[in-house]
Amino acid sequence: MKKTSKLQYFMIYTALFMAVAWSIYPILRVITISIRPGDNLLTESLSIIPEDWTFDNYIKLFTDHPFGTWIWNSILVTATVMLTGVTLASTAGYALSRFRFPGREASLFSLLVTQMFPATMLLLPLFIMLSSLHLINTYLGLIVIYSSTALPFCVWSMKGYYDTIPYSLEEAARIDGASRFMAFYKIILPLASPALVITALFSFMSAWTEYIVAAQVLWYEEMFTLPIGLKSFQANMTTEWGLYAAGAMIVSIPAIALFLFLTKYLIGGLTLGSVKG
Amino acid sequence: MIGNFRSRLSQNIKRSLTFLLLLGSLLGVEKTTLHLWHPMPAPSRAVLNDLVAEYESLHPEISVHLLYKENEEVRMAYMSATGFTEGGPDLLYGPSDFTGALVEMNIVKPLENFFSEEELSAFDPKGLTWYEGHLYQIGDELGNHLALVYNKRLFAEVGLDRPPESLQELIEFGKKLTIDKDGDGVVDQYGLVWNFTEPFFFMPFYASYGGWVMDEDQNPTLNNDAAVNAFKFVRDMRDVHGIIPIECDYDIADSKFNTGAAGMLINGAWSWAKYMESPHVDFGLAVLPINDETGLFPAPMIATKGYYMNPYLSGEREKQVVELMKFLTGADAQFQYASRLATIPTRLEVRERPQIAENPVIMTSIEQVSRGRAMPISPQMRAIWDAMRPAYQNVLGGSMTPEEGAAYQQEVAVQKVAELFEGQDIDKDAVNISAIVVYLAGLLLAIWALYKLFVAFILPLVRGIAGVLVQESRFGVLMVAPAALFIFGVVVYPFFYNLVISFSNMGLTTVNDWQIIGLSQYGKVLTDSQFYHFFLRTVIWTVVNVVLHVIFGVMLALLLNRPLPGKGIIRVLLILPWAVPSYITALTWRGMFNIDYGAVNIILNKFFGIEPISWLIDPTNAFIATIITNVWLGIPFMMIIALGGLQSIPQELYEAASIDGATAWQQFKKITLPLLKPVMIPAITLGIVWTFNNINVVWLVSNGGQPGDQTHILVSFVYRAAFNLYRYGYAAAFSFMIFLMLALFSVKFMQKNKATETAY
Repeated sequence: MKKTSKLQYFMIYTALFMAVAWSIYPILRVITISIRPGDNLLTESLSIIPEDWTFDNYIKLFTDHPFGTWIWNSILVTATVMLTGVTLASTAGYALSRFRFPGREASLFSLLVTQMFPATMLLLPLFIMLSSLHLINTYLGLIVIYSSTALPFCVWSMKGYYDTIPYSLEEAARIDGASRFMAFYKIILPLASPALVITALFSFMSAWTEYIVAAQVLWYEEMFTLPIGLKSFQANMTTEWGLYAAGAMIVSIPAIALFLFLTKYLIGGLTLGSVKG
Repeated sequence: MIGNFRSRLSQNIKRSLTFLLLLGSLLGVEKTTLHLWHPMPAPSRAVLNDLVAEYESLHPEISVHLLYKENEEVRMAYMSATGFTEGGPDLLYGPSDFTGALVEMNIVKPLENFFSEEELSAFDPKGLTWYEGHLYQIGDELGNHLALVYNKRLFAEVGLDRPPESLQELIEFGKKLTIDKDGDGVVDQYGLVWNFTEPFFFMPFYASYGGWVMDEDQNPTLNNDAAVNAFKFVRDMRDVHGIIPIECDYDIADSKFNTGAAGMLINGAWSWAKYMESPHVDFGLAVLPINDETGLFPAPMIATKGYYMNPYLSGEREKQVVELMKFLTGADAQFQYASRLATIPTRLEVRERPQIAENPVIMTSIEQVSRGRAMPISPQMRAIWDAMRPAYQNVLGGSMTPEEGAAYQQEVAVQKVAELFEGQDIDKDAVNISAIVVYLAGLLLAIWALYKLFVAFILPLVRGIAGVLVQESRFGVLMVAPAALFIFGVVVYPFFYNLVISFSNMGLTTVNDWQIIGLSQYGKVLTDSQFYHFFLRTVIWTVVNVVLHVIFGVMLALLLNRPLPGKGIIRVLLILPWAVPSYITALTWRGMFNIDYGAVNIILNKFFGIEPISWLIDPTNAFIATIITNVWLGIPFMMIIALGGLQSIPQELYEAASIDGATAWQQFKKITLPLLKPVMIPAITLGIVWTFNNINVVWLVSNGGQPGDQTHILVSFVYRAAFNLYRYGYAAAFSFMIFLMLALFSVKFMQKNKATETAY
């Protein structure tokens, strides 16, 4: 391990401090709006906490709107998408990294291809399709669409990470009598934990903040996920900015919690040093 | 732990199933659920909820289900649901300008047979929307008209005790009310604010110089002296008289007036209730004052707001819907709206009730409506708005003279109106050779694609399962198959749907009887010079964004990839831009780019002494602003990927390199970069594709391509110029061109980077 000198520490912290300031300042503005009375988007000072701050908007969210239900719905949908994403991507990515089978190249490329069509143009046919499959007003329709949007990246990213793990590890396991699947499940999967974290985070985020598809699929307020609920505070010319900002902050909290929890495992993978690549 | 989670999960699944069953029983035998979609803002929504509750208690067999969507979204959602699947809500509430498009698409029911003549005569004729001889909308409110709102307290402070009575006076009063309180050279209180860059908010002035948007035959009439003079008038208010802010969109105007930082505001009927309650505003309402040069009053546009009926209703349900509609547009309902929100009822009898007739706000409002003009309900209006916006904003931005602006908006309007009806040009009875060729080509392509699909996925799967292949491959195929089926199950239909549509003439008037016309939509795309202009811009947008995402992302990851006290918290703070929904942070960034009050300019000025930059008015700066926002949004993702990738690099490699005397830079170049590559390449490739098609950030930060539709990338341009004008065929062809370019690029990019190869 290299030694980091005091000067280096100072420079690193300075750089990180600047990056943090840049990264959180706009979010602090959102918080400012959410604790201001009334619904003004603009603040004309740089101060973060306004003089007349209040939590009214946060209270209103839960008293005047079924915000609790929306949170629950979102968790249900998102957790399923995340689970689907992690399961399917970790297996598919593994196969694409380790095996040469007919259609491998084509699969890899067509995964990418699915991301290339402008999403705005897919909405109408997706709606027609879901409608004819009677999946309007069901979470199933939503979950299928979200999973399929998140999967291409997840598969690619898993595959890319598996590529960095030497074959010799599985070979050793196979020699010790493990089946193919066991070698994958017991040896490789734990090593790929950073990629699993990325996959989980990505699947989570693609479902957690999505509202365009959700707004087409869900027609009942009591079935809404958080983002469409949130969108109902935004109107053409009469947006309730305070509520909107407060809602956005609440939407962010579970995401932040998950990031906090998962990023620990981002570093958790065993070091490969024990096996010379 | 896992078992516990499982049982909780199954509990949750049970709970949601019960919920669905409950929902099913609600939909079932006992009650009829009627669906109503509406774009009512929160205050009107409250009244509607009360009315519906009352109706349900009067009719226990009926349950009315309300769904709110924003104005444009409710229109689009209704069109998809009713126009393309014969579903949708029973009733649609909205402004009268929906009418033309709904009628052209055949998705609204004529209503004249459901109402007796006597019933209809109770309405102000302006409250009933007729189009081509049929009645399509029953209004419950005359609304959307702009009027002059003023703050009596600020007026009193400068010795004024009445609203201005002419435009000359408006400017005089405005000057008195424009004050730099602390003498720092920045105006703290403006005389007048309003969303003046939007054509709808410009219309009253155009009318006060004798202009109007179209003639009796719905042809645009935008190139005349009235337009030139009105352009000059608004521009002079800003540049010569200095009574309006340089930059002012709806939210800025609203916020300034509501916090007592502006003396006067021009805003619509929907907004007034809010100002009456503001502690900073002593509310006053006046009609827009007369134009002394012409002797004409400014005429705001008036839209009737009311109910449209789904055309696929029949029998008992239809009767129930009509009854509901009669209740919601009835005298008592209208009285509720008027007394609670000061709206103008469409029923004359309600207007005469003392509580309404004596309400000063409604009195002024009615006077303003009498000077206004009805918003045209033909679909051409949409094309005209889209033509006026860029011309007007270019004049305000200084890149066109008023005369050039007037000529330009007329030219674009004529072109866009033609585009709106382009599908009709096709001779339907003629034998269409190119159509047959395209049909065949499409069929062949579909067969080829299906064959490829078969060879690539299904055949290996079948073989694998049958055990024809060696054990090894079967395992691989089995592991890929679920993900592949999932993804392609969702993507295949929309993809081919768009492919077919791109060869068709589907548009506003041909939604129901579109036909294949061959490659002409592609021809139109490729001969449009704007396509190339925005293509170049999109390439710049993509390259700059992705390069900065990767550089900053990898740099931060490298800094964080070492033992560092406080690392966990720093990491999470750096990820925040990804965790907070971008539809709010992008809007916050827009606020931060405001010329006078935005944090960006204040910081640049305080710390670096840089003069205020007009971020959102100048097209180049606006484009830079969208890039800055998107860079901010995208860094955390790349950082996380890089952090994950760095974990796969064994420390021993660095140690060995150090012993061999390699410098830090050499280590980075020879060890870090090559080993990071397999993890980064997929993220970069997809990052490029996503950025290329990222409509959201551009749309939110530049408010739909402003100024003057110059801040677009390809996807936002096609949305604005084609999809928005119902040119489905053209939009599909355009999107396919985008798709083909990306596909071609990706093939090259992946070959070059050997992204499908493994590192070991």
